[in-house]
Amino acid sequence: MATATYPPPPPFYRLYKDYTENPESAPEPPPPIEGTYVCYGSNYTTDDVLPSLEEQGVRQLYPKGPNLDFKKELRSLNRELQLHILELADVLVERPSQYARRVEDISLIFKNLHHLLNSLRPHQARATLIHILELQIQRRKQAVEDIKRRREEAQKLLKEALGTLEGQ
Amino acid sequence: MDIISQLQEQVNQIAGLTFNTFGTLQRDAPSVRLSQNYPEPPPNPTEDAATFSEQPKQMSAALVKAAKQFDALVAALPLSEGGEEAQLKKIAELEAENDAVGQELQRQLEAAERELKQVQELFSQTTDNCLNLKKPD
Repeated sequence: MATATYPPPPPFYRLYKDYTENPESAPEPPPPIEGTYVCYGSNYTTDDVLPSLEEQGVRQLYPKGPNLDFKKELRSLNRELQLHILELADVLVERPSQYARRVEDISLIFKNLHHLLNSLRPHQARATLIHILELQIQRRKQAVEDIKRRREEAQKLLKEALGTLEGQ
Repeated sequence: MDIISQLQEQVNQIAGLTFNTFGTLQRDAPSVRLSQNYPEPPPNPTEDAATFSEQPKQMSAALVKAAKQFDALVAALPLSEGGEEAQLKKIAELEAENDAVGQELQRQLEAAERELKQVQELFSQTTDNCLNLKKPD
Protein backbone atom coordinates (compact mmCIF):
# COMPACT_ATOMS: atom_id res chain seq x y z
CA MET A 1 0.00 0.00 0.00
CA ALA A 2 2.81 2.39 0.83
CA THR A 3 4.32 2.08 -2.64
CA ALA A 4 1.14 2.71 -4.70
CA THR A 5 1.15 5.75 -6.97
CA TYR A 6 -1.66 7.53 -5.12
CA PRO A 7 -1.81 5.74 -1.74
CA PRO A 8 -4.92 6.33 0.33
CA PRO A 9 -4.55 8.32 3.57
CA PRO A 10 -3.63 6.25 6.64
CA PRO A 11 -6.69 4.54 8.17
CA PHE A 12 -6.14 5.86 11.71
CA TYR A 13 -9.10 8.20 11.51
CA ARG A 14 -11.42 5.24 12.30
CA LEU A 15 -9.99 5.03 15.80
CA TYR A 16 -11.31 8.50 16.61
CA LYS A 17 -14.98 7.76 15.79
CA ASP A 18 -16.25 8.30 19.34
CA TYR A 19 -13.84 11.08 20.31
CA THR A 20 -16.60 13.63 21.02
CA GLU A 21 -18.42 11.31 23.43
CA ASN A 22 -15.44 9.73 25.11
CA PRO A 23 -12.03 11.36 24.63
CA GLU A 24 -10.35 8.42 26.35
CA SER A 25 -11.43 5.86 23.76
CA ALA A 26 -9.01 7.19 21.13
CA PRO A 27 -5.26 6.45 21.31
CA GLU A 28 -2.80 9.01 22.65
CA PRO A 29 -0.56 10.83 20.12
CA PRO A 30 2.74 8.98 19.60
CA PRO A 31 5.65 10.17 21.76
CA PRO A 32 8.40 12.28 20.11
CA ILE A 33 11.04 10.26 18.29
CA GLU A 34 14.51 10.13 19.73
CA GLY A 35 17.69 9.12 17.98
CA THR A 36 17.65 8.17 14.29
CA TYR A 37 14.56 7.51 12.19
CA VAL A 38 13.89 6.36 8.65
CA CYS A 39 11.92 8.64 6.33
CA TYR A 40 11.25 7.70 2.66
CA GLY A 41 14.06 5.21 2.73
CA SER A 42 16.84 7.40 4.11
CA ASN A 43 18.06 7.82 7.66
CA TYR A 44 17.67 11.05 9.54
CA THR A 45 18.89 11.96 12.97
CA THR A 46 17.17 14.13 15.55
CA ASP A 47 20.47 15.38 16.90
CA ASP A 48 21.05 18.59 14.92
CA VAL A 49 24.78 19.01 15.18
CA LEU A 50 27.25 19.98 12.46
CA PRO A 51 29.16 16.79 11.52
CA SER A 52 32.89 17.26 11.85
CA LEU A 53 35.06 17.24 8.76
CA GLU A 54 36.55 13.83 9.53
CA GLU A 55 33.08 12.30 9.45
CA GLN A 56 32.67 13.61 5.93
CA GLY A 57 36.07 12.28 4.91
CA VAL A 58 37.68 15.70 4.48
CA ARG A 59 41.07 16.61 5.95
CA GLN A 60 40.87 19.42 8.49
CA LEU A 61 43.45 22.12 7.78
CA TYR A 62 42.93 24.36 10.79
CA PRO A 63 43.93 23.23 14.32
CA LYS A 64 41.28 21.72 16.55
CA GLY A 65 41.72 22.86 20.16
CA PRO A 66 39.00 24.13 22.51
CA ASN A 67 39.30 27.87 21.82
CA LEU A 68 39.67 28.49 18.13
CA ASP A 69 40.70 31.95 16.94
CA PHE A 70 38.25 32.07 14.06
CA LYS A 71 39.45 35.33 12.55
CA LYS A 72 43.07 34.20 12.39
CA GLU A 73 42.18 30.83 10.91
CA LEU A 74 39.85 32.39 8.33
CA ARG A 75 42.54 34.84 7.27
CA SER A 76 45.24 32.18 6.99
CA LEU A 77 42.90 29.93 4.97
CA ASN A 78 42.28 32.87 2.66
CA ARG A 79 46.05 33.32 2.15
CA GLU A 80 46.45 29.59 1.46
CA LEU A 81 43.65 29.80 -1.10
CA GLN A 82 45.28 32.66 -2.97
CA LEU A 83 48.63 30.80 -3.00
CA HIS A 84 47.02 27.67 -4.36
CA ILE A 85 45.28 29.60 -7.12
CA LEU A 86 48.63 31.03 -8.17
CA GLU A 87 50.15 27.55 -8.05
CA LEU A 88 47.37 26.25 -10.28
CA ALA A 89 48.05 29.01 -12.79
CA ASP A 90 51.77 28.10 -12.78
CA VAL A 91 51.07 24.38 -13.16
CA LEU A 92 48.77 25.03 -16.10
CA VAL A 93 51.58 26.87 -17.86
CA GLU A 94 54.45 24.50 -17.05
CA ARG A 95 53.02 21.01 -16.52
CA PRO A 96 49.38 21.09 -17.61
CA SER A 97 48.73 17.40 -16.97
CA GLN A 98 49.22 17.78 -13.22
CA TYR A 99 46.27 20.05 -12.61
CA ALA A 100 44.21 17.46 -10.71
CA ARG A 101 46.17 17.59 -7.46
CA ARG A 102 46.10 21.37 -7.34
CA VAL A 103 42.37 21.48 -8.03
CA GLU A 104 41.83 18.96 -5.23
CA ASP A 105 43.83 21.15 -2.85
CA ILE A 106 41.78 24.20 -3.77
CA SER A 107 38.50 22.37 -3.20
CA LEU A 108 39.83 21.09 0.15
CA ILE A 109 40.52 24.66 1.23
CA PHE A 110 37.03 25.72 0.19
CA LYS A 111 35.46 22.89 2.17
CA ASN A 112 37.46 23.88 5.25
CA LEU A 113 36.42 27.51 4.84
CA HIS A 114 32.75 26.62 4.66
CA HIS A 115 32.98 24.23 7.59
CA LEU A 116 34.65 26.91 9.70
CA LEU A 117 31.92 29.40 8.84
CA ASN A 118 29.21 26.85 9.64
CA SER A 119 30.76 26.18 13.02
CA LEU A 120 30.31 29.87 13.82
CA ARG A 121 26.52 29.52 13.59
CA PRO A 122 25.92 28.18 17.16
CA HIS A 123 27.89 31.13 18.50
CA GLN A 124 25.70 33.45 16.44
CA ALA A 125 22.55 31.75 17.74
CA ARG A 126 23.63 32.25 21.34
CA ALA A 127 24.53 35.87 20.68
CA THR A 128 21.09 36.42 19.14
CA LEU A 129 19.48 34.89 22.20
CA ILE A 130 21.45 37.19 24.49
CA HIS A 131 20.39 40.18 22.42
CA ILE A 132 16.71 39.18 22.52
CA LEU A 133 16.83 38.67 26.30
CA GLU A 134 18.42 42.08 26.80
CA LEU A 135 15.75 43.73 24.67
CA GLN A 136 13.00 41.95 26.59
CA ILE A 137 14.44 43.00 29.95
CA GLN A 138 14.62 46.58 28.77
CA ARG A 139 11.01 46.52 27.55
CA ARG A 140 9.79 45.03 30.84
CA LYS A 141 11.65 47.63 32.91
CA GLN A 142 10.12 50.35 30.77
CA ALA A 143 6.65 48.88 31.33
CA VAL A 144 7.23 48.76 35.11
CA GLU A 145 8.27 52.42 35.10
CA ASP A 146 5.21 53.37 33.05
CA ILE A 147 2.81 51.58 35.37
CA LYS A 148 4.41 53.15 38.47
CA ARG A 149 4.15 56.59 36.95
CA ARG A 150 0.50 56.15 36.01
CA ARG A 151 -0.40 54.86 39.45
CA GLU A 152 1.25 57.85 41.09
CA GLU A 153 -0.57 60.19 38.75
CA ALA A 154 -3.85 58.53 39.58
CA GLN A 155 -3.15 58.80 43.33
CA LYS A 156 -2.32 62.45 42.88
CA LEU A 157 -5.56 63.10 41.02
CA LEU A 158 -7.59 61.33 43.66
CA LYS A 159 -5.93 63.35 46.42
CA GLU A 160 -6.64 66.55 44.54
CA ALA A 161 -10.26 65.53 44.07
CA LEU A 162 -10.50 64.77 47.78
CA GLY A 163 -9.00 68.12 48.62
CA THR A 164 -11.45 69.87 46.30
CA LEU A 165 -14.40 68.06 47.83
CA GLU A 166 -13.31 68.81 51.39
CA GLY A 167 -12.69 72.42 50.54
CA GLN A 168 -16.31 72.87 49.55
CA MET B 1 22.22 39.93 5.50
CA ASP B 2 24.05 38.79 8.62
CA ILE B 3 27.83 38.76 8.59
CA ILE B 4 28.27 34.99 8.44
CA SER B 5 26.00 34.72 5.39
CA GLN B 6 27.95 37.56 3.79
CA LEU B 7 31.18 35.67 4.46
CA GLN B 8 29.71 32.53 2.90
CA GLU B 9 28.57 34.52 -0.13
CA GLN B 10 32.05 36.00 -0.44
CA VAL B 11 33.68 32.55 -0.37
CA ASN B 12 31.35 31.39 -3.12
CA GLN B 13 32.10 34.51 -5.11
CA ILE B 14 35.85 33.86 -4.86
CA ALA B 15 35.23 30.31 -6.11
CA GLY B 16 33.18 31.64 -9.01
CA LEU B 17 35.84 34.18 -9.95
CA THR B 18 38.51 31.46 -9.81
CA PHE B 19 36.85 29.08 -12.20
CA ASN B 20 35.68 31.88 -14.47
CA THR B 21 39.26 33.18 -14.65
CA PHE B 22 40.79 29.86 -15.56
CA GLY B 23 37.97 28.94 -17.92
CA THR B 24 38.11 32.21 -19.83
CA LEU B 25 41.88 32.20 -20.12
CA GLN B 26 41.88 28.62 -21.28
CA ARG B 27 39.14 29.22 -23.81
CA ASP B 28 40.51 32.41 -25.29
CA ALA B 29 44.25 31.70 -25.21
CA PRO B 30 45.94 32.10 -28.62
CA SER B 31 47.60 29.01 -30.06
CA VAL B 32 51.27 28.50 -29.29
CA ARG B 33 53.87 26.41 -31.09
CA LEU B 34 54.66 23.31 -28.96
CA SER B 35 57.53 21.65 -30.85
CA GLN B 36 59.60 22.06 -34.02
CA ASN B 37 57.91 18.98 -35.51
CA TYR B 38 54.59 20.70 -35.81
CA PRO B 39 53.93 23.50 -38.28
CA GLU B 40 53.33 27.14 -37.26
CA PRO B 41 49.88 27.65 -35.79
CA PRO B 42 47.41 29.70 -37.86
CA PRO B 43 47.70 33.48 -37.28
CA ASN B 44 45.38 34.87 -34.61
CA PRO B 45 42.70 37.45 -35.34
CA THR B 46 43.91 40.89 -34.27
CA GLU B 47 41.00 41.87 -32.04
CA ASP B 48 41.80 38.95 -29.75
CA ALA B 49 45.35 40.13 -29.04
CA ALA B 50 44.27 43.57 -27.88
CA THR B 51 41.59 42.50 -25.40
CA PHE B 52 43.33 39.28 -24.47
CA SER B 53 46.30 40.84 -22.72
CA GLU B 54 43.93 42.95 -20.62
CA GLN B 55 41.84 40.01 -19.44
CA PRO B 56 44.30 38.35 -17.04
CA LYS B 57 45.03 41.70 -15.42
CA GLN B 58 41.35 42.53 -14.91
CA MET B 59 40.41 39.08 -13.69
CA SER B 60 43.29 38.82 -11.25
CA ALA B 61 42.46 42.31 -9.98
CA ALA B 62 38.90 41.13 -9.36
CA LEU B 63 40.17 38.05 -7.51
CA VAL B 64 42.45 40.08 -5.28
CA LYS B 65 39.65 42.56 -4.59
CA ALA B 66 37.33 39.72 -3.58
CA ALA B 67 39.99 38.30 -1.28
CA LYS B 68 40.50 41.72 0.33
CA GLN B 69 36.74 42.04 0.78
CA PHE B 70 36.77 38.69 2.56
CA ASP B 71 39.49 39.90 4.89
CA ALA B 72 37.51 43.05 5.64
CA LEU B 73 34.43 40.98 6.47
CA VAL B 74 36.48 38.72 8.73
CA ALA B 75 37.79 41.77 10.57
CA ALA B 76 34.20 42.92 11.06
CA LEU B 77 33.14 39.69 12.79
CA PRO B 78 31.74 40.55 16.24
CA LEU B 79 33.30 37.55 17.95
CA SER B 80 33.21 38.04 21.70
CA GLU B 81 36.12 36.35 23.46
CA GLY B 82 35.27 33.78 26.10
CA GLY B 83 33.63 31.15 23.98
CA GLU B 84 30.68 28.98 24.71
CA GLU B 85 30.77 28.89 28.53
CA ALA B 86 30.84 32.67 28.87
CA GLN B 87 27.86 32.97 26.57
CA LEU B 88 25.90 30.31 28.42
CA LYS B 89 26.68 31.99 31.73
CA LYS B 90 25.48 35.32 30.38
CA ILE B 91 22.29 33.68 29.12
CA ALA B 92 21.62 32.19 32.58
CA GLU B 93 22.18 35.58 34.24
CA LEU B 94 19.93 37.36 31.79
CA GLU B 95 17.24 34.73 32.26
CA ALA B 96 17.32 35.20 36.05
CA GLU B 97 17.13 38.99 35.66
CA ASN B 98 14.29 38.62 33.17
CA ASP B 99 12.37 36.47 35.64
CA ALA B 100 12.86 38.98 38.46
CA VAL B 101 11.78 41.92 36.31
CA GLY B 102 8.85 39.89 35.06
CA GLN B 103 7.64 39.22 38.58
CA GLU B 104 8.01 42.88 39.50
CA LEU B 105 5.94 43.75 36.43
CA GLN B 106 3.32 41.22 37.45
CA ARG B 107 3.08 42.73 40.95
CA GLN B 108 2.77 46.25 39.63
CA LEU B 109 0.13 45.13 37.17
CA GLU B 110 -1.95 43.44 39.86
CA ALA B 111 -1.73 46.45 42.16
CA ALA B 112 -2.74 48.76 39.33
CA GLU B 113 -5.70 46.55 38.47
CA ARG B 114 -6.83 46.51 42.08
CA GLU B 115 -6.67 50.28 42.24
CA LEU B 116 -8.54 50.53 38.98
CA LYS B 117 -11.30 48.35 40.36
CA GLN B 118 -11.54 50.50 43.49
CA VAL B 119 -11.71 53.71 41.50
CA GLN B 120 -14.36 52.26 39.23
CA GLU B 121 -16.40 51.14 42.22
CA LEU B 122 -16.16 54.56 43.88
CA PHE B 123 -16.98 56.31 40.64
CA SER B 124 -20.13 54.26 40.13
CA GLN B 125 -21.21 54.95 43.70
CA THR B 126 -20.60 58.68 43.27
CA THR B 127 -22.53 58.87 40.07
CA ASP B 128 -25.39 56.93 41.61
CA ASN B 129 -25.46 59.36 44.52
CA CYS B 130 -25.34 62.31 42.21
CA LEU B 131 -28.16 61.06 40.07
CA ASN B 132 -30.15 59.92 43.15
CA LEU B 133 -30.79 56.49 41.70
CA LYS B 134 -30.00 54.52 44.85
CA LYS B 135 -30.60 55.27 48.45
CA PRO B 136 -27.34 56.29 50.16
CA ASP B 137 -26.31 53.80 52.90
